[in-house]
This record gives sequence, structure tokens and C-alpha cells, in this order.
Amino acid sequence: MSSVEIENVHKIFGTTHVIRDVSIDVPDGSFVVLVGPSGCGKSTLLRMIAGLEEISAGEIKIGARVINEVQPKHRNIAMVFQNYALYPHMTVAENMGFSLRLARHSKDEIATKVRDAAQILGLSNYLERFPRELSGGQRQRVAMGRAIVRDPEVFLFDEPLSNLDAKLRVQMRAELKEIHGRLKTTTIYVTHDQIEAMTMADKIVVMRDGVVEQLGDPLTLYDRPVNMFVAGFIGSPSINFVGGRIARTDGAAKFLSHSGVRWQVDPRVAEVAGGTPVTYGIRPEHFALATDGESGTLPAVVVTVEPTGAETHVVADIGEDRITAVLRERVSARPGEKIHLRPDPAQAHLFESESTLRIQPSGEAH
Amino acid sequence: MTSRPDIHGVKVEAPATGTGGVLPDLPHRRKKTPLADRAIDVFLLLFGFFMVLPLLLLIANAFKTPEEMLAWPPTLVPREPTISNFTSVLSSTPLLRWIFNSLAFALSSAIAISVTSAIAGYLMAKFPSRTMSVLFAVILATAIVPFEVYMIPLYFQAQALGILNSLPGLLLGYLVMSFGIFLIRQNVIHSIPDELLEAARIDGAGEIWIFVRVVVPLLRGALGALFVLAFFQAWTAFAWPIIVATTKESYTIEVGLALFQTGFTIDLGRLSAASALVLVPSVTIFIFLRRNLVQGVASTGLKE
Repeated sequence: MSSVEIENVHKIFGTTHVIRDVSIDVPDGSFVVLVGPSGCGKSTLLRMIAGLEEISAGEIKIGARVINEVQPKHRNIAMVFQNYALYPHMTVAENMGFSLRLARHSKDEIATKVRDAAQILGLSNYLERFPRELSGGQRQRVAMGRAIVRDPEVFLFDEPLSNLDAKLRVQMRAELKEIHGRLKTTTIYVTHDQIEAMTMADKIVVMRDGVVEQLGDPLTLYDRPVNMFVAGFIGSPSINFVGGRIARTDGAAKFLSHSGVRWQVDPRVAEVAGGTPVTYGIRPEHFALATDGESGTLPAVVVTVEPTGAETHVVADIGEDRITAVLRERVSARPGEKIHLRPDPAQAHLFESESTLRIQPSGEAH
Repeated sequence: MTSRPDIHGVKVEAPATGTGGVLPDLPHRRKKTPLADRAIDVFLLLFGFFMVLPLLLLIANAFKTPEEMLAWPPTLVPREPTISNFTSVLSSTPLLRWIFNSLAFALSSAIAISVTSAIAGYLMAKFPSRTMSVLFAVILATAIVPFEVYMIPLYFQAQALGILNSLPGLLLGYLVMSFGIFLIRQNVIHSIPDELLEAARIDGAGEIWIFVRVVVPLLRGALGALFVLAFFQAWTAFAWPIIVATTKESYTIEVGLALFQTGFTIDLGRLSAASALVLVPSVTIFIFLRRNLVQGVASTGLKE
């Protein structure tokens, strides 16, 4: 087990700058998830750690060793690929023991290690089968097994669950997390699925266009996104954005949307925000159903109502802004009907419209 | 070109006899009436029979006396079978030597082509660069130059190397096949994902190990098909062997058989006997390789 330090790393393909000055610290034994839309450079970064792509500039360290010039096989890492990359002509046992065989371990030793890993992964009854005889989830486990058997310093996962169906993905997510808890091997995991990132990570790295947008534990990213991109990327259904500015009426600062609706804001935030255009951001679950006349309620015209059973997703127009609200109650309103929603000002964010950066309330800890 | 009919014969015969076994396994075929099934069987059997007929006549002729061979209507089963044609052929010509020459030539050529195509095709598929693209274009371009164009220069080259009348001389134009390189390249692109090679590299495998232990096993189907193709290309080659082999001892069987057919006479009896003998190794090899081929093609169909 080892820490991984990525320091000021760049990757340039021809004339495209894919990774720009990325620095990430992955502590020993932690589970770090790189997340971002496709093309953000997360997979390239992972491949650079694995040694499958050259590092254009900067340094990557595993433990105390700089591995920029070290061959993949000498980096003591194991990688699990999206399509599993199992050798189709080898049995499960041969697939799992392949790296040990290359390292000239004795047959008995290989057999023992493969058996132990198979035990952890529930593959004991499949060791003599070929990959084509296994289900998607089982193949995924074999790929994991191949990584575990090596007892590497670092596990690298490249979107390992995206070829599985939704139900199996949830199950494997839990299994992976559980295995990590048991082995405590430093893990770097790439996904475009923010739910996977939120549920599995000790630390999430949100990337866009080759740049780290924010790095932190899942709930910090959720509660205090640094900018509109992170706020919009993390959370499902995603956060609502409303454009406008801060206006003062009767001494109290309010957010005035372009369509003229006044939203309540946390005074600590309003105090910081100047007269520049700002964007009001509020997560769907921070709306509550209200009755007319209560303070801070806003009239909304229902567009659609989607009951999920546990909660109700309501898409509605407040002024000219379309928002999504996730409500605990069951809502019987029909499209076109008017309801009243109360946003929780303490949970709302304000972003500078131009820079998209979140305005930090005065007194908030960093 | 006497080995042509046997290829066709075997190929057509196989589905004709195979249908009986395959049809009942297919549920949608079951709905057809037994009568229609029977009619299809009869039709295919008849068709197969007519395809094999020339081959059967050739074998029958080998056992006939000269008089019976010219009799009309031709007989399928010789009235007075004789083996004098065979004894005459085997005593007056080095037929077995020719068969051996052909086998050695065809096997060496098939092995060489399989090896060169596997290496070149893999490199061109998985290590792309500007040089590789140019090289690949050049290799494809050679495929459009007819053999007759460079036959004579190639002969002078063989002469200069002092390898006329020998196996290396025969092999000179048969070590590399541009189509083979193309076939393997396409197959690698289509059926070997980059991740598999990357996984092996991370696992600690060297490039040669990856090629031998990962790539080649996965190309078994394509290489099997290419081997059969290359083998029969060499086995049926005529123009190059007749140029490069000038002594009776160094002939291949194709060249040897042509000797029975001079400008004025065709020695039908002995030609038939020789052809019938030639069928034995080529049909045997084809049957073996065909099984291999079917297995190979079936296993490449299983996508991960």
C-alpha cells in the first residue's frame, strides 16, 4: 500500500492540451474517485498513473518513488478496465494467476493466492470456466480478482461498472466498497457517474476540460460546490439555477430574478454579493410545499408531476424559470395548476454569473 | 489443376450430408412438412452427386483398361479393374518424389505465410504510425501487380542466388502474402481490444510474450483459414514451379502431371492414376484443416 502524489501534471497530445496542471494527493489506503463528463481527461490521468500514457510534464509518485519513467509492469499497480480485458482463451484461474505466472511464482503459491482471491469474490466454483461462460457481474469479479491476486500498491479502476445493468451496478458498487474496506489498498477510480462517486469515494476529484474543478469529500462537494459546474454535476436531479441580481427593498436584500420574482437569500451571502449579476442555485430537495401567504413562498405553475413512490418530483415554472422540486409529500396537482413552494434560503447558493464561482457567505469556514 | 475438383467436391458434399444432422436442431425448420424436408435432402444429394461425379469418374478411369476408358457410355465401375496404370506411373515417373516436393513446398509456404502475416498484421494493427500506414499501403499495392509481371525478374533472382531446382527456389515468391497481412490486420483490429494488451503489459508481460501467449491464440481462427488458403495456393501453383524447377527430380506434382499431356497425345490412363494418387494427401490434409478451420471460425465468433 502506498500513497499516490500527482504534482503539476500536464498531458499534451499533438496540439491539444488534455490535462492542465493537475495536482492530486491520494493518501495511503484511501478511495479517490475521479469524476467528470466524457472528455474531461479523467481516464487519461488514470492511464498516466498506470504508465499507459506518457507524462508530458509534472511528476507522479507512488509512495516515495517518482514513476514517470517506470514501465507499467514495474509500477506495482493493478488496473481494472471497463470491458474487463480478460484473456478469452484462458480459464478464470489462469486469468487471475497470469501476472503471478509472469513473475515466476511457484505453481502452489499461484494456486493458493488465486484460491484466496476467488474466496473473497465468491468465484470459487468458477475457476475452471472460461470468461465467455460467465455473466457480466462474474467477469467483473474476475477482473477484480486479477487485480487482488497481485497485492499491488494501488488499484486503478477505469469505469469498471458501466457495462453492467443498473441493478448489478448498485450491487457491485457495494461489493467494491466492501472489498476496499477489507483490503485497504489505495484505490483510484474513474467514473462519469456522480452517484458512483458520491457513494464510494473518500474523496472526489471533479474534473472538466483537463482541470481539477474541485477536490473534497462527497458531502462537502454537495453542500459547498466551488462553482456552478460542480454544483450542476453533483446531485440528481440536478440543482436549479435562476439568473438575476441582488436587490434591496425595505432594507432587506433579496434575489431578484430576470422575470421579476423575489427570492429570499441568506443575508450573510447577500452582504458579500455586490450589484453584479448573480445566479441563484437551489437543490430540488430544498423546496417545501407551502400554502399561500406564508412568508418566503413563491407561486409556481406545475408543468409535470412525477411520483417515484418515496417522493414526488415536481417540475414547475416560477416566473419564467423552470425548476425541479423533490417533495416528501404526494402531490395531487395537475399540470397548469398553481402551487406554492418555499425555497430554504439557508440551503441556497449564489454564484457570480460571469465567473460562475460560488459566493462564500461571510463567516463560512473554508 | 487436378486438385481443384476435390476441393469443390468436398465442399459441396459436406452441406449435403450435414443438412440431415443440422435441420432437426433448428426449431423454425421443424414446421416444414417431412415431405419438403425430404425433397430438399434429395435435391442436395443429387446436386452433391453431380459435383462429385467428375472426381468419381477420374478415380474409376484410373482402374480402367485403355479400351474401356474410351468406351461409350462411360462406366462408373470398371468392368475389368486393373492396377496397371498405377504400377506404370509409379515405375516410370518419380511420382512420390513429386508429391513429396509439393507437400514440402505447400507446407513451408503455408507456415511462412502464417508467421509473416501474423507478425506484420499485428504490428500494423496495434502499433499505428505514419511509417506503418505507408508500409501497409505499399503492401496492399503489391497485391494488384500480377505475378506474370515479375515472374521473369524473380527467375533471374533465383538463378543469381543459385536456388533453381530447389525448395528455397520454389518458396521465393511464396513466403509473404499481402492478402494474409491484410486479413490478420483486420482481424486484430476487429477482435483484439487495446485493453487486453494493456492489461497484459500491466500484468508484467513483455511484447513477445504478449504476441505469442495472447495475440496468436486469439487469432487461431483467422490463422487457420489463412493456412488452408496458403497451402492450397502453393499446392496448386503451376507457373512458378514450371519455371524454377527444370529437372524431373525437382518438379512439383502439378508440373509432373502436366507432363502426361504433351502436344500430341494425352496419356489418359496414367494421368488418371497419377491424379487419383495425388488426391490422397490433398484430400486428407483438407479434411484435417477443415475441422480446425470450423473450430477456429466458431471460437472467434464468441465476443467478449
